[in-house]
Amino acid sequence: MAVAVRRVLRASRSWRAALGGQERWRAETLRLICTTTAVQKRNVPASGPEKYTEAFIKKQIEEFNLGKRHLANMMGEDPETFTQEDIDKAIAYLFPSGLFEKRARPVMKHPNDIFPKQRAMQWGEDHRPFHFLFYTGKQSFYSLMHEIYGKMLDIQKYQDQLKAQDLDEKKQINLIGSRWLIKEELEEMLVEKLSDHDYSLCIRLLERLVTLPCCGIEEEYVLKFRKELDTQLKKVVIEPLQYDDQGVAFSTGEGKRKTSRATVIVYDNGNGKITVNGIDYLHYFPVIQDREQLMFPFQFLGRLGKHNMVCTVLGGGSSSQAGAIRLASARALCSFVTENEAEFMRQAGLLTYDPRNKERKKPGQEGARRKFTWKKR
Amino acid sequence: MLRRVKGLICQGPKLDPGCFLQARAWLSAAANQGAQIPEERLRTIFRTHESNPANHSEQHEGQHYSIPLQEVKVVFPHGLPRRFQAQMKTFNEACLMVRRPALELLGYLKSTNFAHPAVRYIIYGEKGTGKTMTLCHAVHYCAKQDWLVLHIPDAHLWVKNRTELLPSSYHNERFDQPLEASTWLKNFKVSNERFLKEIKTQRTYVWSKRESTEMGSPLGEVVEQGVTRVKNASDAVGVVLKELKTQCPLGSFRLLVAVDGVNALWGRSTLRKKDKSAISPEELTLVHNLRKMVMNDWNGGAIVTTLSQTGSLFKPRSAYLPHELLGKEGFDTLDPFVPIQVPNYSQREFESCYQYYLDRKWLQHEKVGTEEGREELLFLSNSNPWQLERISASL
Repeated sequence: MAVAVRRVLRASRSWRAALGGQERWRAETLRLICTTTAVQKRNVPASGPEKYTEAFIKKQIEEFNLGKRHLANMMGEDPETFTQEDIDKAIAYLFPSGLFEKRARPVMKHPNDIFPKQRAMQWGEDHRPFHFLFYTGKQSFYSLMHEIYGKMLDIQKYQDQLKAQDLDEKKQINLIGSRWLIKEELEEMLVEKLSDHDYSLCIRLLERLVTLPCCGIEEEYVLKFRKELDTQLKKVVIEPLQYDDQGVAFSTGEGKRKTSRATVIVYDNGNGKITVNGIDYLHYFPVIQDREQLMFPFQFLGRLGKHNMVCTVLGGGSSSQAGAIRLASARALCSFVTENEAEFMRQAGLLTYDPRNKERKKPGQEGARRKFTWKKR
Repeated sequence: MLRRVKGLICQGPKLDPGCFLQARAWLSAAANQGAQIPEERLRTIFRTHESNPANHSEQHEGQHYSIPLQEVKVVFPHGLPRRFQAQMKTFNEACLMVRRPALELLGYLKSTNFAHPAVRYIIYGEKGTGKTMTLCHAVHYCAKQDWLVLHIPDAHLWVKNRTELLPSSYHNERFDQPLEASTWLKNFKVSNERFLKEIKTQRTYVWSKRESTEMGSPLGEVVEQGVTRVKNASDAVGVVLKELKTQCPLGSFRLLVAVDGVNALWGRSTLRKKDKSAISPEELTLVHNLRKMVMNDWNGGAIVTTLSQTGSLFKPRSAYLPHELLGKEGFDTLDPFVPIQVPNYSQREFESCYQYYLDRKWLQHEKVGTEEGREELLFLSNSNPWQLERISASL
């Protein structure tokens, strides 16, 4: 298991030495320390990105699967139904890391996700290229353009057939809720570098294809080049209203900003009274700016004098407490309000947690950005 | 920036203004009910033409009445708050709102029994709710009724602000404040000219080797003495107070003692002696004499006072109740008193103030005339008069 893990962590060097690898590794490092600079080669030309052979990738996949089963065994789960999420959780448990950058933490993923896609050999033993467009230099791009154009001709033929039969059907592709792939994504798909001009040509051709009346036949082909935009509110759960003893509807919400934490209870059928930590909001927030922050969710929904609010807030300064209460009250108001209005609130930024925090002071500087006074001598 | 959801959703047919105005209009008892009210009539509902406070009653509650500017100069040489004075200058008129605590106070004043000892009224309330303005309303009433008004605009000014402090000539341990005393005497002269000629002193007062005031001379001379000889100003004040107190029970005039910020008399002061030890308010001549004035051992008038946290020293901002601001000593001295609490604006009063500012074109923002603008103002100020005034000043 230790061997497999080490392979994961140092995936960039192909490790043939699985047999007794540990001692040999130590021996090699010992050797490296004792050598002098004269022995090391100079003027070694920089090699390009590492080339992985197919066999190597296959080996990695086998090892990954084996490692997955071992991991499932270790965690006491069933190896057959061990998903990638379970793998992530197990690795996070076994190798707890305090690093802030998530991409720097230990990871165990399928080799296809880790190793970038590479092209197989483009020519055979007789050194003749397989693809007929190889000598254009951008074979995948041109072949893609040809393919799309071929589809367009097919659609036009189909349209002519329908006309000949005097039928007038129109099948359009539904493009709402998705977007074209961006240049990076298209490059990844074709495993080839594209220029901006090429990318724009490709997208224009696709747009032209979509405008044809009967493009519905090639719908699944075109959807390969579209990506779904997910609306985020679907992840937000809206709590139902609760009712207290007198039958008045109320709802709670929690909010954070910087170091402040706020809990808020919004009551219906009110007259606009707001109490913060037992004190009236006019006395608690003498600054107008903070009161405007409190007002924003209610004013946005047009419900200024209709709700009463009781808040408790701890930590932070006055502005951050006001921001925390604003977020909490917006979340609480979601239960009183239709889904459409909740979507408007989200777009207005009322339901988003403000991630800004105090920036760290760096060594060699006086503050986060301020440098020490520069003296010429 | 997206401020309202209603901008996104297209609403149904908008309510016409006539409908709104009807919904919001309150009718005074005299106005006809049920008929459509023309715009001009509605706008004047926040104003009343009754400028004599004696005739103010509950039907005028929430309405503004204006005081002619000449009267203001005579009655309030130094009484009005600074912001109100600036507002007066801008609007070219002095408009006071008739509110319930003031009406209550006026009712008590109308029914005072002058044979009994002077009743003390303490106006208290949270910061910025209109205590000083209520006091000014009462002062205006008494001035109209021809009382002698002894108005101390802010007792806190007498215990703060290190300026000249002279050791008192009259009493060894006390301290004089010539500047404050002389300013006060000047203003007192302006407001009570008539009485100063009529009231005569009952004793001789010797100011120095060459100057003295004979018995039987008008009080105006004492005031003149204080104004010209600044060194004797505080003693002049003391003399004036003593004379008024002894002569008032005789019944020739009515006396109103109006003190704003009475909690200064029993608090602490920031003044220090030359050896940097603190002075307590009793060691100041002015404060000592004023304390005697505020006692209820005389009859023939009334004492109206206000508590104020704004100018007070060493008191937390949230304190507004009498026992918090007066301290044990002050409370015991002023006990028994009639407390009058001044709350924030009610719905009606807020509406009236808002209409008044709109009418005077003080609120210049484009959206301020709408329902939303009004609600926003209501929320941001929480119906506190002081807050509302500050917010509207920047719009």
